[in-house]
Amino acid sequence: MEEFTKFVRGGILGPIKKWGTKWSLWPVHLVTACCGAELAHAFACGYDGERIGALNYGIARQTNLIIVEGAITRKMARVLRITWEQMPDPKFVIVMGACGLNGGIFWNGYNLVKPSEVVPVEFFIPGCPPTPEALLRGIRQLQIKLDKGVAENSVSFSEVKAEKGKKPRILPRGVKKVSLAPCIVIAREKEVEWELGKNLCEKLKVLGRAVITARNRIALKVDPDKLRSSAMKLRDLGFDHVKSVNVVDAPNEGKFIVEYWISSYSVKELMPVLINLHSEISRREPKISSLSDIFPSADYLEREMQDLFGVEFVGNPWKGRFLLAPDAPEAPLRKDFKLQEEVYVGD
Amino acid sequence: MISTLFEIFKSNMVQIPLIQPIIDYLMQIPLINFIVALILWRPFFAVVIIPGLTVLLLYLLYIVWFERKLTARVQWRVGPLEVARPIRGAIQALADGLRYFFQEAIVHKEAHRPYFVQLPILAFIPILLPIAFIPAGNVVGIKSPYAVQLVVAFLALIPITIIAIGWASNNRFAFIGSVREALIYVSYEIPFIIAVSSMIYLYGSGDPYVAVEKQSIVPGAIMNPIAFLVFIIAMLMATSRLPFEIPEADQEIAFGPFVEYSGMLFGLVMVLAYEKLYVMALLFVILFLGGWSGFYCELLGDLNAPLWLFIKTIIVISILAIVRSMYARYRIDQAVRYSFSWLIALSIVALVIGIAVGWIV
Ligand code: SF4
Repeated sequence: MEEFTKFVRGGILGPIKKWGTKWSLWPVHLVTACCGAELAHAFACGYDGERIGALNYGIARQTNLIIVEGAITRKMARVLRITWEQMPDPKFVIVMGACGLNGGIFWNGYNLVKPSEVVPVEFFIPGCPPTPEALLRGIRQLQIKLDKGVAENSVSFSEVKAEKGKKPRILPRGVKKVSLAPCIVIAREKEVEWELGKNLCEKLKVLGRAVITARNRIALKVDPDKLRSSAMKLRDLGFDHVKSVNVVDAPNEGKFIVEYWISSYSVKELMPVLINLHSEISRREPKISSLSDIFPSADYLEREMQDLFGVEFVGNPWKGRFLLAPDAPEAPLRKDFKLQEEVYVGD
Repeated sequence: MISTLFEIFKSNMVQIPLIQPIIDYLMQIPLINFIVALILWRPFFAVVIIPGLTVLLLYLLYIVWFERKLTARVQWRVGPLEVARPIRGAIQALADGLRYFFQEAIVHKEAHRPYFVQLPILAFIPILLPIAFIPAGNVVGIKSPYAVQLVVAFLALIPITIIAIGWASNNRFAFIGSVREALIYVSYEIPFIIAVSSMIYLYGSGDPYVAVEKQSIVPGAIMNPIAFLVFIIAMLMATSRLPFEIPEADQEIAFGPFVEYSGMLFGLVMVLAYEKLYVMALLFVILFLGGWSGFYCELLGDLNAPLWLFIKTIIVISILAIVRSMYARYRIDQAVRYSFSWLIALSIVALVIGIAVGWIV
């Protein structure tokens, strides 16, 4: 921030303050994403950031530089702000990585925040990830800025003459056909030699449509109101936990497919077997009964799906946000979720 | 009044033949001669110049740089360099100190404000008091036949200020750090005191002059090697060096008691352990390495003894700095268990040796 640069350079003691701050830019440990690996490289042997007086150190109170390492999610944005506010003045922020600049590979993701909207940023270092040289040059650049008061380009590019006129912008062509036919198939039958599976299928037939989809894999489709009774039946057969809960959004069919992947830890033969217990619910009224009292391991997974898809699991006591930050948008993984669009003003 | 003071100062001045002509010249100028006499007055010289405050500051600059450089070397790095290339970055600690000095010093809302601000400064008292009692030849602040015991007693006060710092910070990491400091304190203090008293038995007195005189042929380290070992380990524990860096442990509890300090206050508390190390190393040199005895240079006169004491201390500390970059940290329970089992056993063996050797000599 300009006022800190001004403070460091100003006053009668300016030269001393400037010299001390310049050679003692200590970044705080705040690793937020994969760029942190490159930061470690920049301070390990080979590049050795300590040469120029930068030392990775303790916590915010004792340092004066934040290097934001890549992507900042909504939750980490809060942490970043707290770290920045805990740090004594004068303090500086350098952002590294394409993610920190404008989202990078997570561009326009529902859970991504730009660091420059959270804290005042001094320098950006582009790259995915930036090389250690680039990072050290960022710190060096900050030193030069403290020294001279203004930021200077450290590289100059040769100028290329622009051609007259404008090239027509060629846009990618849109999708030609949108199929209305049901395109999401959960259970495709397959012939396999598997005695136990065939026996199991026989037993499960009464509950709904049971098919073998591969060796050790069985898909069982039931009506939503029969979900609980089917789960109880499976539990009686020896299956004792839910490995994963999954929701598939099929907007053009107007439905959600809720899947429970069920397996067993206690019965030896059933250990490799995975049962996909699924059921379809309407998109208008996404409600399904919860299995968390039958299989306790389903509890957290159901909460997560409730967060991401807005499917309500009736019987699961948890209401409200579980994994998402409090200010994240509703049901961001639904296919019709509209991302926030960036608007560029200009010609 | 002033003239009587002047007479007192003048009668007890440090004699350095090398700069005697300059002093003689300065002594003729009024007012300046008063200042010169004050500076060269032996007690003042001992406490403020050498082995007191001035060289303590120099030592701080040196040891911080040396440790960082050494660690960097061990890790195949270069360490601080660009700040002053010709002297291999030796003033890095000065830059860091200046930066801390001009940074905002935050006193957070939950802290106990008066104590939080006072304690880093109060903590200097138990560090500076021992220096007044540690003699270097005939340059001495306060002469006492119980100097060794007094230094040990003052050293025991330092952890109390650190624990109080943790309490005043009112932060969970600071609490954990203070508790750890207290645990480490009880576990090193007993072997440390037994080791020192074994040396007192050996020399038959707590007077540094007697100790140094008795070491004129064989240094104390050879007379009682076990006490030597116990003293080194206790010194590492007492100053939070790495195998026992348990109270500060920046990876787990982020500098323990000092977690909330920032700016200049942090600069003050950060050097506490280094200053404690300095005082303990002074005591160590006097008890085990022959104190200030060494090759005598005519030109330096009275300055010989303090210089030798200082040089030996610096060498001891530099060697101790190596352990910082080589060892991993003990867990708290391991450290306490070891010190209460074999460290105390060793110190008792040292006590027996001390009494036996003291009886023979
Ligand atoms: S810029 Fe690349 S390396 Fe850095 S955080 Fe983003 S994805 Fe990871």
